[in-house]
Amino acid sequence: MLMFRRNYAKRCNTSSKFKLLPEYKLKCGLEIHTQLKTENKLFSLSTNSPFSDVDKPNYHTSFFDVSLPGTQPILNPEAILFALRLSLALQCKINMNSHFDRKHYFYGDQPLGYQITQHYSPFSNTGKLRLFKDLDSIEEQTKDISVIQLQIEQDTGKSVYDSADSITKIDLNRSNVPLIEMVTGPDFTDLKQIRAFIKKYQNLVRHLRISTGDLETGAMRVDVNISINDYARVELKNLPNTSSIASAVKYEYSRQVNMIENGEGDKLRNAETRGWTGSETVKLRSKESIIDYRYMPDPELPNIVLTSDVVDGVKDMLPVLPDDTCMSLMQEPYRLSLKDAKILTINSNSRDELYTHDELRKYYLDTFEAYRSLCERHHQEFLRKLPANWIIHELLGNLNKMEITLYEICRSLSPEKFAELLLLISNKTLSNASGKLLLAHVLNSFKENSFAAGKPLNFLELIDEFELQAVADVESEGLELICERILAEVNNDKMINDIKSGKKKNSIKFLVGQAMRISQGRIEALEFETTFKKILKVSW
Amino acid sequence: MSIKAALSKVQRIPEVQTHYNVFNYVNEMASSQLKSIEKRNASSKPLAYTVAAVKDNIVTKDMPSTCSSKILDGYMSPFDATVVSLLLEAGTVIAGKANMDEFGMGSAGIHSYFGPTFNPLFKPEDQIVTGGSSSGSAAAVAAGVVDFALGTDTGGSVRLPASYTSTFGFKPSYGRLSRHGVISYAQSLDTVGIFANDLATMNKVFSILDKYDEKDPTSLSEELRHNFRSLATKKKSLKIGIPEEFSQESVPAEFRATMTRIIKHLMNYGHEVYPVSIPSVKNALSIYYTLSPSEAVSNLSRYDGLRYGYRAESDIENGTLFTPTRSAFGPEVQNRIILGNYNLCSESFKNNYIKAQKLRVQLINDFDSAFRFPNVLSGNTVNKDGVDIMLSLTSTSFPGNYDEVVNKENDNPLNTYINDIFTMPMSLCGLPTMTVPAGNAFGIQAFSQHGNDYELLDACYEINALVNS
Repeated sequence: MLMFRRNYAKRCNTSSKFKLLPEYKLKCGLEIHTQLKTENKLFSLSTNSPFSDVDKPNYHTSFFDVSLPGTQPILNPEAILFALRLSLALQCKINMNSHFDRKHYFYGDQPLGYQITQHYSPFSNTGKLRLFKDLDSIEEQTKDISVIQLQIEQDTGKSVYDSADSITKIDLNRSNVPLIEMVTGPDFTDLKQIRAFIKKYQNLVRHLRISTGDLETGAMRVDVNISINDYARVELKNLPNTSSIASAVKYEYSRQVNMIENGEGDKLRNAETRGWTGSETVKLRSKESIIDYRYMPDPELPNIVLTSDVVDGVKDMLPVLPDDTCMSLMQEPYRLSLKDAKILTINSNSRDELYTHDELRKYYLDTFEAYRSLCERHHQEFLRKLPANWIIHELLGNLNKMEITLYEICRSLSPEKFAELLLLISNKTLSNASGKLLLAHVLNSFKENSFAAGKPLNFLELIDEFELQAVADVESEGLELICERILAEVNNDKMINDIKSGKKKNSIKFLVGQAMRISQGRIEALEFETTFKKILKVSW
Repeated sequence: MSIKAALSKVQRIPEVQTHYNVFNYVNEMASSQLKSIEKRNASSKPLAYTVAAVKDNIVTKDMPSTCSSKILDGYMSPFDATVVSLLLEAGTVIAGKANMDEFGMGSAGIHSYFGPTFNPLFKPEDQIVTGGSSSGSAAAVAAGVVDFALGTDTGGSVRLPASYTSTFGFKPSYGRLSRHGVISYAQSLDTVGIFANDLATMNKVFSILDKYDEKDPTSLSEELRHNFRSLATKKKSLKIGIPEEFSQESVPAEFRATMTRIIKHLMNYGHEVYPVSIPSVKNALSIYYTLSPSEAVSNLSRYDGLRYGYRAESDIENGTLFTPTRSAFGPEVQNRIILGNYNLCSESFKNNYIKAQKLRVQLINDFDSAFRFPNVLSGNTVNKDGVDIMLSLTSTSFPGNYDEVVNKENDNPLNTYINDIFTMPMSLCGLPTMTVPAGNAFGIQAFSQHGNDYELLDACYEINALVNS
């Protein structure tokens, strides 16, 4: 027995070396529960706030949520709207007449003794989500994950074991919070696809503004169904984050492969449910201990009857989906890199404290347009990459560093103003380095003045004030003087020779950097580079 | 309605309570509440100086609501049921919470944690049952200690005890009266009903309670109520159907004779009487005992003792959660929990529950084709030659003695289930039904299409006059 365990540990804990073996085909499906961020709970008027009041257990509860005798569920139509948005975004077939069922089982945090869900006639079915090689970092060019069904249901309360008092405490703040359960087909064949799908689904629910999509808080919960070759499927539960999902799948794959190789494949003939402890999967339930949920149509809730007007109306109001936005940003006229396009499209977190990707994209697009028309008006060359470089790299960097929000910035530094700054850079009134200094200064003074609307920004005045104008027509003697001074100060023959011979071309950047420092960035770097090359008689 | 009459009713409660066990809880404040009604306000309160009993499965803020179950012993609801609020607003004083069969399960009034209720039409020592499950509500009205009472009717629980106590018992159309605050037994059937000694009181109370309630998802919408009103007409001559399936050879001869007499009277007064057939009625008992225990077992799942009500020392027994607490349910409730679980278990669900639902639709269709008032909910085509109301007996026998009933039930539980045979079909179809006293301890019921409550009430005046002529 001990040997057996050690054998496991050896195979399973080497996750860095994990590899799928061609003779053991992995097949996975996902079941994702997503909490909807509706104002109220699914069947009551309690505030839907499952996490914000951890210190106030059972605070957001109504008579129905605690299952008082004589109370009835009243369906919250907002949950239907949210389910409709998600179903349409996943290209599902909408059930125009779905209904609720009761799923019975006893548990302390299940106040009704049953969960109201949709078992016999779920809200929508047969949809799909497409993964792309570039966008989603999967191996295949594209991969369609089928969505079997979507159903609306209630969340349960929470049981917390208090070891000090050795009692289980029950908090019903989460009870009756609306959930959508989405079930995919067994379409996943590797971990990359699973990761990509979860990320994409997460981004989708955030984009549709129906959920925070956070795994850490439990607003999104993922169960994985896994099977190898034609063996029975094992359901993995208690997977709190993406890394535990990956680890659990790896562990379970290795465990099953091991069993098959050890001639114990027969033990994998029956479906079972296993939990993830953080280091291994353990059996929770098998066929013998399965619960009969005794599903029954709810006898008092009305059917959810939809008309095609309603469905079409919601469809028309769906926002452009992230994939489409991302792809359009990578095409003319923007031609952004995949990385930049993703920054403007995909929500990496739900907190949005400084900016949302939507705000940022709007700021980018508006600036892009304003800059383009400014260039036309001033007959300047339009530098397509400039808006993205300056917004995604410079502006965002500063916002993060100074902890100021894009919203506040917009009040003083509108996209039109930002376009003016870009024009000054592209017509070489400002060097890149001076432009960066000026932007940082402007943002900083906004912050110090608490973003009070002072007099409108005038970049030219500021440039004068700080003497930031690019020294465009530097006399060549002046340049040479600076460069020679630097060469003397550096006094490094080996480096100079390596530059001359072209062995270490990049070292010239070091010299240019020194020159930029001395000229306080007001002279373009290219001017210095040319001068150094001239002095050193570089021929490359 | 005078204060004097009201006070004298309330003063008789202790004596009646001792003999007949009518109430689970008596409102000791009733007299002072009656006295505190200000004269100048009384005229604006349609039910001022009336006293009512409320079945113990309808929640009240000021009195316990127990469903006659140990599991809810002493339970105080933080809110009043909508029907209770409406009565209080109208000026009624609630005399107490009426005894009942536990959670509404029973048809004799003998399955109560607080003991059986006896029938005030008889001497207390005879120990004649009142019928159930709204046993205390019927007894309170029959004993004259209240002006009216609220009960609930799931398969006959208002009409059977009304028949046994010679009171009027009205089960309105399903969805007319709010169920908010009514503790569910089987909510696709549960209907709040009214007991009274006269039709005027019945009418008045009904019109006060007949309101849409947004807190009840099965409450009929304002729009539907408007539809019903515009479809109803005042009829001089009624078309009355006598459904064949409701005539049983086994009923007492007095019942049949009375029925025949009433039919003759009706014809003499110019009403048209037709035999009608509702073939699916033969399935009603099976449908009812498939659906109602299934809903019941589901509704009773919440009683785990954690949040309210009775809780046993331990929450777990042999690895099963809440078994010790849930052992507090009485034997009849436990029977139906087992039956309900059987019906819902995955192997039998399709064969039993789904089949019962289909047969229920068939029963509705059968009634729809016999009435000339349209069924707004089913949308079935209307039979222009159909009848306005139908008549049948309410009960199959006179109420028996407590020991006899218990013995009969112990021989075979189906014996009591059969008592509901005349009342269940209307419950399954949500039809408004009134039982009118037709003799000592028995009544006849008149019923009409769903939503056609007001034509039915009018017809009941006519029928009642003929019964007494």
